[in-house]
Amino acid sequence: MYGSASTDHLPTNAPTGLENEDPILLAEFEARIARGEKIEPNDWMPALYRKQLIRMIEQHAHSEIIGSLPEGTWITRAPGFRRKMAQMAKVQDEVGHAQLLYSAAETLGKTREQMLSDLINGKSKYSNVFNYPAYTWADSNVISWLIDAGAIVNQMANAKGSYGPYCRALDRICAEEAFHLKYGHDAVVHLATGTPTQRRMIQEALNRWWAPIMTFFGPSDKMSVHTEILMRWKVKMASNDHCRQQFLDMYVPKIWEVGLTLPDPNLRKNEETGQWEFTEPDWEDFKRVINGDGPCNAERLAVRRAAEENGAWVRRALLSPKAQYVRPLA
Amino acid sequence: MSAANSDALKDLLYRLADDQLILGHRNSEWNGLGPILEEDIAFSSMAQDKLGHSLQLYLLLQGLGEAEPDTVAFTRNAPQFHCAQLVELPIGEYDFSLIRHFLFDTAELLRFELLSQSSYEPLAQVARKLKGELKYHVLHANTWIKQLGSSTEEAIDRLQGSLNFAMPYALGLFEKTGYEEALIAEGIFVGEDELKAGWIEKITVILAQTSLELPDLTTLTPVYGGRAGQHTEHLQPLLDEMAEVFRVDPTAEW
Amino acid sequence: MNSLDPRITRLGLPDAPPPPPDKLALDQFETYEAFHQKKEGTAYAYVGPVHAPSADVAFLFAKEQYSRRFACTGMWVVPTTSVHLSPYADDNASVYDELPAAEQTGNASTAEQQEEALYTAGDEDYDIFHLKKRGKAHVHVGRVRATSPAAALQVAKAVFGDQRPVVNVWVVRSADVLRSDDEDRDIWLTTPEKKYRDAMAYRVQDKIERFKQEQKNAPQV
Repeated sequence: MYGSASTDHLPTNAPTGLENEDPILLAEFEARIARGEKIEPNDWMPALYRKQLIRMIEQHAHSEIIGSLPEGTWITRAPGFRRKMAQMAKVQDEVGHAQLLYSAAETLGKTREQMLSDLINGKSKYSNVFNYPAYTWADSNVISWLIDAGAIVNQMANAKGSYGPYCRALDRICAEEAFHLKYGHDAVVHLATGTPTQRRMIQEALNRWWAPIMTFFGPSDKMSVHTEILMRWKVKMASNDHCRQQFLDMYVPKIWEVGLTLPDPNLRKNEETGQWEFTEPDWEDFKRVINGDGPCNAERLAVRRAAEENGAWVRRALLSPKAQYVRPLA
Repeated sequence: MSAANSDALKDLLYRLADDQLILGHRNSEWNGLGPILEEDIAFSSMAQDKLGHSLQLYLLLQGLGEAEPDTVAFTRNAPQFHCAQLVELPIGEYDFSLIRHFLFDTAELLRFELLSQSSYEPLAQVARKLKGELKYHVLHANTWIKQLGSSTEEAIDRLQGSLNFAMPYALGLFEKTGYEEALIAEGIFVGEDELKAGWIEKITVILAQTSLELPDLTTLTPVYGGRAGQHTEHLQPLLDEMAEVFRVDPTAEW
Repeated sequence: MNSLDPRITRLGLPDAPPPPPDKLALDQFETYEAFHQKKEGTAYAYVGPVHAPSADVAFLFAKEQYSRRFACTGMWVVPTTSVHLSPYADDNASVYDELPAAEQTGNASTAEQQEEALYTAGDEDYDIFHLKKRGKAHVHVGRVRATSPAAALQVAKAVFGDQRPVVNVWVVRSADVLRSDDEDRDIWLTTPEKKYRDAMAYRVQDKIERFKQEQKNAPQV
């Protein structure tokens, strides 16, 4: 699962560096993308393309590995066999997705070691939504359904992008997430249509999560030279607003149909424009949390650090002195 | 089936199912916290398999008139559990979890191989079906123990310490109950002694390929009691945690 | 550190841990490439890499990372260092066309004889994988015999060169491939039964319809 948030782009004022690229190679590269062909790791690519993709795929990978923690909160407490096994499988999938995405980013030349170091040292970001806590089992269900739903909107768009290894990883991820979406929806509906206690649990969880969900896709994109180039290169596939609208269109009716409410009095679909209207999310708060001051930032990183440190002896023991790193191929 | 045999069979099934449920639960605690991403994934799969195995066995119990699996798993208290104490111990560090996995799954694969010949056909069927999964679990355990057990001094010390600590508990897996003779006589199960003998052989072969030493089994006192509902102080908190949400409303559908 | 997650609380972490040092090189091990067989009798196809300390462990890892969710009947793993790549061609083209023609061996007259001669000339088997389209996965097309990976690519051109498109070719010395054991096929048998992680097993719509019906029938307050 993944949110594009606002952090997956280079600063808009960063130089593109395109003037330093070989014009013939650049033209061939752009022509390949324009023909709808994928770029593979051994192809020539502009430095900006490589840099932006590493940044984006790496953050996506971090979001998966950190994203396994909020639902992991309830892994030992999931009620009943079916939920218990499914919750385990879902958390496992998030770790699996991280593995796939780190591998895709590695093909561009950044090692997994370096990416994990940057994550646990706080140098590299992950989706902000995972800096919020899962207070109850119902919170975990809301994450399973709606955060994954948001992620799928993003990932389906990105799977049509231009970089081969990322597309392959996303195809697998999307196939696996079909289960997440159904499982999450099923769990939420069970609570929403269940006992009064269950109903209260799920409504409260939804109230807590709605604000973070509305920031999931990030603020409206600022059109810049960068954005234009990245769209032409099929790195950025859809605008944040477009993804948010698509998400609201698909899921708000499903929330309402089981009698749940959303804590935004202004939320409605404008039938004339076909667009959803809502109270503008608190982007200042979003910035504060993404920069480290959220309810769970410190814990998330501390846990990831501890997992890395506690497993270090295993990795030390098995590392052969003859080992030699080679980037994965595809 | 006679009433006496039915009691013996249920006793056996509860032991098998409770072992798998509790160890599957314990091992799921590693999910997201493992030593390398790929191993995190593999260990979680095996924990899920254990849950799945316990479910199959609880379903057999339901067929024999016991309550449905969720009720059995999520509403009993520690004294009503028949798992060996080995499986309820906290996950500790990864060396302990790996050693426990190695000792337990080696026994479990053998147990299921033996049960695939059981005179109680529904159990024999389940045992045959799940054998492939257990085969992978043992392949996983053996590979890790062989590699880590012949690696650095640090790793060998850790594993040896965990092996020494776990071994008396592992012997508790073969604790006999009052139904032992009936189970053997009816051909339901060949008995704990035969299983234990096969298990010692298997773990000895693997450990011989490492720098680890099998503790002298003749000097160890097996930790018994689990099969009779006597447990460590760790089981009840585990059960309370596992059932925290379920017990909010045990009649609700979750 | 006190957490909402009881597992985390049990880790006994300090509230403000010091920043960790950067990871050492190869802390995450070497890379291996994994190939799966979806169905008995079908060709092995590339699924992705794993990081592992040895081929045995790579197999354990690949099995769960790449076969746990969908049907599978076999798995191969190869050290990434053992894979030799051809250049990449455009979609719809064949990379074999860009290679110099294979040398004629002996005075074989028919295509079959020529193929046969090529096959027996070398002294090692190589597995050949083709990528048909950019963004898709490499698929195993067969084996050739040759004295080196470069020679194997030439032989592959002679044997498989009429297939197209071929965007890219991977050549792997067969001895470097760790293959799942035929006797262990049962380790995959139960995967399709694990319905709890199958989207189709969640039939939520029935529940929603029932709820809506109940709302409709409930007395208006």
